Amino acid sequence: MIQNLEIQNHNFKLHPSGAIFWEEENMLLIADVHLGKVAHFRKHGAAIPAQAAFKNLEKLTEISNYFQPKTICFLGDLFHSILNDEWHDFEKWVEYTQAEVILISGNHDIIPTYLYEDLGIKVFDELVLKGFYLTHHPTEVEGLFNFSGHIHPGVRLRGLGRQYLRLPCFYKTLNSLILPAFGNFTGKHILTPSEKDEVFAIVEGEVICVSKNKKL
Amino acid sequence: MTNKELINIANAWFQSKSWKAFPFQHKTWNAFLSGKHGLLNAPTGSGKTYALWVPIVLQYLKDNPAYKTKHQKGIKAIWITPLRALSVEIQQATQRFADDLGTGLTVGIRTGDTPQSERAKQKRQMPDLLITTPESLMLLLASKDYDKTFKTLTAIVVDEWHELLGSKRGVQMELALSRLKTISPNLRIWGISATIGNLEEAMDVLLGTDSQFRENSVLIKAKQKSKIEVRSIIPKKIETFPWRGHLGLHLLEEIVPIIKASKTTIIFTNTRGQCEIWFQKLLEKHPEFAGEIAMHHGSIGKDTRLWVEQAIRNESLLAVVATSSLDLGVDFAPVETVIQIGGPKGVAKFLQRAGRSNHRPGEPSVIYFLPTHALELLEASALKRAVKEEVVEDRIPYLLSFDVLIQYLVTLAVSNGFFPKDIFPEIKNTFCFQGITEEQWNWCLNFITIGSQSLQAYDEYKKVEVTADGLFKVESRQIAMMHRLSIGTIVSDSMMLVKYVSGGFIGTIEEWFISKMKPGDTFVFAGRTLELVRIRQMQAQVRKSSKRTANIVSFMGGRLPLSSQMSKILREEMQSARLPDGTTENPKRNTPELKALSHIYKRQERESIVPNETEFLIETFKTREGYHSLFYPFEGRFVHEAMSSLLAYRISLLSPITFSLAYNDYGFELLSDKFLDIQTILDNNLFSEEYLYDDLQKSLNSTELARRKFRDIAVISGLVFQGYPNKAIKTKHLQSNSQLLFDVFRDYEPDNLLYLQAYRETFEHQLEEGRLRQALARINSQEIIWKQCNKATPFSFPIITDRLREKLSSEKLADRIKRMTLQLMK
Repeated sequence: MIQNLEIQNHNFKLHPSGAIFWEEENMLLIADVHLGKVAHFRKHGAAIPAQAAFKNLEKLTEISNYFQPKTICFLGDLFHSILNDEWHDFEKWVEYTQAEVILISGNHDIIPTYLYEDLGIKVFDELVLKGFYLTHHPTEVEGLFNFSGHIHPGVRLRGLGRQYLRLPCFYKTLNSLILPAFGNFTGKHILTPSEKDEVFAIVEGEVICVSKNKKL
Repeated sequence: MTNKELINIANAWFQSKSWKAFPFQHKTWNAFLSGKHGLLNAPTGSGKTYALWVPIVLQYLKDNPAYKTKHQKGIKAIWITPLRALSVEIQQATQRFADDLGTGLTVGIRTGDTPQSERAKQKRQMPDLLITTPESLMLLLASKDYDKTFKTLTAIVVDEWHELLGSKRGVQMELALSRLKTISPNLRIWGISATIGNLEEAMDVLLGTDSQFRENSVLIKAKQKSKIEVRSIIPKKIETFPWRGHLGLHLLEEIVPIIKASKTTIIFTNTRGQCEIWFQKLLEKHPEFAGEIAMHHGSIGKDTRLWVEQAIRNESLLAVVATSSLDLGVDFAPVETVIQIGGPKGVAKFLQRAGRSNHRPGEPSVIYFLPTHALELLEASALKRAVKEEVVEDRIPYLLSFDVLIQYLVTLAVSNGFFPKDIFPEIKNTFCFQGITEEQWNWCLNFITIGSQSLQAYDEYKKVEVTADGLFKVESRQIAMMHRLSIGTIVSDSMMLVKYVSGGFIGTIEEWFISKMKPGDTFVFAGRTLELVRIRQMQAQVRKSSKRTANIVSFMGGRLPLSSQMSKILREEMQSARLPDGTTENPKRNTPELKALSHIYKRQERESIVPNETEFLIETFKTREGYHSLFYPFEGRFVHEAMSSLLAYRISLLSPITFSLAYNDYGFELLSDKFLDIQTILDNNLFSEEYLYDDLQKSLNSTELARRKFRDIAVISGLVFQGYPNKAIKTKHLQSNSQLLFDVFRDYEPDNLLYLQAYRETFEHQLEEGRLRQALARINSQEIIWKQCNKATPFSFPIITDRLREKLSSEKLADRIKRMTLQLMK
């Protein structure tokens, strides 16, 4: 169910939750959780089931228990809006987790940095690590491999009998990889890959390469 | 004054115009003046406005004998019209009568187009008659002290009730009426409807279930014996006439002489896209028409539309290419001829369109029918019979539309606030909510106050608040404003305004069409070639272009299904044309349409068969695309949509398989990448009516129908906010929002009433479960004929080439993916 990937002699595990585990660094990469979105909607009169909000933190707990990483790095859009009650639950989660938490700030992250820092979370605009470049927006830089989020990538698949499917995916080009959105109350944006791109779709608890080893 | 004296006043006015009141007008006047409610069945252009406006005025004269010197303040009547465009016409007619009698009564219009200053003036002092739409009436109920405003009402007239009846706008109307019944003690409720199959029910829905309204009501029918003559345009060379398609351009030259021979012609198309194309092609082939023909559809700017309507009245146009935007309302006396392009799918619609022509008494209305593909000639033949036998469809009212109820409750909470104990009995007396349980009612109240069914810790949900004395009220100004902007039940695809860079509004088109284009690309819209300059917020800014382009604007819009009445006649027509033994001519094949079709029948007989009434045909064949299996129930596309899902699901229970489904009005197709043995369908009795509901529900889980219905429900119930005017959120946002919401409800709140409503609507309105059941019963009584063909047959051709498809699968998704390929950049 997990897809292994080697990039520049480093080993990465692509997990069906949408997270990536970086073995050499013992680091978990997670993009676009959008915590607080459900509460934000409810505050504006849209009665979205509140249970949906808890699920995100449950998922975070499950995945960090599974990999036991030293560091968890959020690639932006961790919190969807201004402060609301979901922040309290997030505080508890940070207290609970053993890992060091890092946030690469995204366009939705409008909560003041000091609030994160009070929880012991380091906040960066970008991060360069062992030849890898971690950002929220996909950003190309000569000589570095870029991990990013922001896009919520998805692809459209076509089968015989004119079947179509849209699935969230990890989207890899020569020098970059865009992670799918981790949050459960987020949409996806359909991309059209070129022949050189590699696409790993998430289907029913599996990560499947839909571009490699196929006649294109 | 006695009623008789009052009626004499009206008669005198009619005489002064050298008119004579029709019997149905007299009947309506009398009924109204004796305090009755009712439904008037009368067509457009028959004098229906005076049938109801006259007694409203007379009642005023009775209540206020000193009317000549002293005007009694307060609104007297509301006139509801579904189309804004009709309001001016009604205003002119009503004002004229009021003025001629020296009543001093005023008539005002309030719709989305009414300027803010005018609305504010109306709020200070209402006109005596207010002409408005269901949405604008709801907005009035959302303003403070609406109960004082409407206290003096003596009548509400719902015009074109048949148009509202089968939609959620009808539910909205029912709810508004339920409130007015309480706050306006002297109210009389009247509806005006064209002929539909279920007029009695239409009246029940209008008046609600409380006995004091029903018992004191009357249904009045205007005698209408308008003759209609249907003439089919039959292709001269039927052999080269296409088997599929929906544009009909092959026969373009055939209508040119018809256009040239008559004063004004309306050419009705079924979609806005088709309308654009026909207009374009007519001008291309016949440049001499330039300036003499125009186009009219719902997405063209209002000014242009009004100009076209005026031009029709002035007789300054030779022809207008139109869509259903011209079906309704205003009379166009100069229209001499009507041409219908492609099957209208329903008799009522066809009659309405035919009725647009030639209002000279004694002469028949002529409508030409232009088929867009060969089999549509069958439809032409069926239509002729339907017209002759006066078959008309029903309009099915919505039941338990919780989304509309929730919107309505918030509306009341925005204005005065409400006490549930007052409102529940009113709701319970509407037709739509007669079956609502106390549990469901409480669910709705919880939904708007705590956003769920149980209180949760730290929840910040905010919409309607309950005061200490139990009043349900919206306190937040922001929520009140957002709600007022969201009132309405018509959820359209996201539209973009098309404007010239230099200013000047052209019309609106759907966002997806624009989003495919880059600046510099050209497209044809509203008869003009335009170049996209840039997109700013929800505006596409364009400039005129002299480039030639084939990129004509298109619209999503649903295709209408064949009504059950039409399907039945269609089946009979098809069978009457069958060759008894496949060689001799059938003497019953007598209409010109069926004669013209004979070569197709021969071909169909050669490759397969034309089924008779005791036979049900299944065809199978293989092409490059996979294995095709075709079934021909001839029941209309909605029933076929359901039946194909049902059958595909039942087959998939036998072994893992994936189908792609296609359907049209005649039949449906299951396309698969594996061979499908029809014998297993027959052996396992898969057309059974047993477990229909369960099986349908399961098959639907995969076909996403309910998900699509949910989009409207989410918007109407206020779960999804469509944005502030001019600050519109792009609808990609809205789309994924409601899709996302649907998944969230499925995963976390599957007993949510709105979520369940999406399924119910799918069954009742989309899949027409009742009709489906009957169709299955029929198939089970027929002999099943399985033909294994070598290639596509004439019957199958329009279906297998259909591009609108559903899919259904019982295979594990991961297994399917392995056989799929990625869509790559070209």
